[in-house]
Amino acid sequence: MIGAKPFAPTRIGTMLLILDILTTAAILFVVAIGLLAVFGVLKIINFAHGAWLTVGAYCAVVTAKLGLNPWAALPLAFAVGAALGGLAELFIIRPLYRRPLDAILATWGLGIVVGQLITLAFGRDVQLTPNLVSGTVDVFGTGYSAYRLVALLAALVVGAAFALVIERTRLGLSARAVIMNETLARSLGLDTARVRLVVFMIGAGLAALAGVLLTPLTSVDPTMGVGWLIGAFMLVMVADTSFLALAAACLVFGAAQVLVSTFVSPVLGGIAVAVLAALVLRISPKGFSRA
Amino acid sequence: MINAGPADAVSAAGGASLVLGGVSSGYGAVSIVKGVSLAIRPGESVALLGKNGMGKTTLLKTILGLVALRAGSVAIDGRSVAGLPPAKLVALGVGYAPQEQPLFQDLSIRDNLRLALASDRLLPGALERVFGYFPFLRDRLSQRAGTLSGGEQKMLILARALMLRPRLLLIDEISEGLQPSVVDRIAAALQAERAANGTSLLIVEQNLDFALRVANRWAALKLGEIDDEGSVDGDARARILCHLSV
Repeated sequence: MIGAKPFAPTRIGTMLLILDILTTAAILFVVAIGLLAVFGVLKIINFAHGAWLTVGAYCAVVTAKLGLNPWAALPLAFAVGAALGGLAELFIIRPLYRRPLDAILATWGLGIVVGQLITLAFGRDVQLTPNLVSGTVDVFGTGYSAYRLVALLAALVVGAAFALVIERTRLGLSARAVIMNETLARSLGLDTARVRLVVFMIGAGLAALAGVLLTPLTSVDPTMGVGWLIGAFMLVMVADTSFLALAAACLVFGAAQVLVSTFVSPVLGGIAVAVLAALVLRISPKGFSRA
Repeated sequence: MINAGPADAVSAAGGASLVLGGVSSGYGAVSIVKGVSLAIRPGESVALLGKNGMGKTTLLKTILGLVALRAGSVAIDGRSVAGLPPAKLVALGVGYAPQEQPLFQDLSIRDNLRLALASDRLLPGALERVFGYFPFLRDRLSQRAGTLSGGEQKMLILARALMLRPRLLLIDEISEGLQPSVVDRIAAALQAERAANGTSLLIVEQNLDFALRVANRWAALKLGEIDDEGSVDGDARARILCHLSV
């Protein structure tokens, strides 16, 4: 404790930086986890993921317009995302199952269509949504955004729920079996088409949920999902299909984003995730999943 | 085409019949199985022999619906199953013990066995049943399948195929690379299962001793076609050896 006084502001600064890193990682995690699940089970990158996220954010807009409790947007977004995801899987992804590249292209097109439909319905303008939680919380003697702490908690809840489903339920076991060896899963009589459908629905639902959780932090407009999609895509490329590798990747990349934004420039911070992901994959093609 | 099997096997109830008529299949531009016709009566056990690359594994995968049927017919209990997905065949009582990548290495023994059943409700009874054949599984349910020895893995593969109490069992080179004591245990399990349930078997094998022990008919597959077939009797060994050595 010698010399604690003069260093105290720095220490608080460090603590706040760590908190920023944790909350940034949490948000990245919530955004990317649905994409990871879909990538693992369906073996495609769902480029409509950003569109589901946008749909979720507009669920928050609609909830506000209807004068409902802002928290009601969370279950609403999950349900709408899952329902739209289910329709997309049945009518767009499933017929292209044996043509994965075409399926990926189709999700990209679907993302554009969804974005245009949202523009038609709500216009191009940035929408305002009420804060889920406002104000600051006293942390280490300074005010810290209460909402960022809620986002951190939300990521922990989503992560725990996801882990519980994967590790403890029959659906989770089926999903893991399909990820590990789809041919063997089929030969044992698993209805792999159903597993794919349900996982795609959950993935879209989680993306929409992430969209609601993002509304207090970013502006809501029809193209808001694109940037998040790119970040999530990079994270999944690095994490492969490993849930723990995704958590690690979110922490490392979240830290890079926060540190570069704080000490260099916010613009560079915005592309830190993409640059780092490219570097990691250049050095180790299997990314973080090898550990 | 349909040779008479021993009376004891036919009399046992519970086995399914399998009739293949001119079955052809393959991958991409390559034809592997070329017009195979074969009939297995309920409760019969047929060994399919042949050297590597003759289409034995592909034939099993075609029956199960893992590889698309290009021509011909597949019927189980007189009902056409051509074009049905594997899940439908498993529901009809077809069990499969594959040779390549046969286990989920990173899952526990229990989860590997669980995946053979559509519902966990049936799990305790089915586990007890296979513990009867392979008691070592009982105490090692939480062990990762990939950490088992080669022989233990083969027994787990068979145990998993038996979980459902299949009516027709397709087995791909289960005795490959095993020491004689393990081969004995696997043969004993198959014989006990057939005695109890009249299970029909189609066994792809290269181990002639094992095949002759568990089968009552044999067929030799050569370059995707049935070259010869017969009952397991006094001169079966000599006739099969003649096909395997050419």
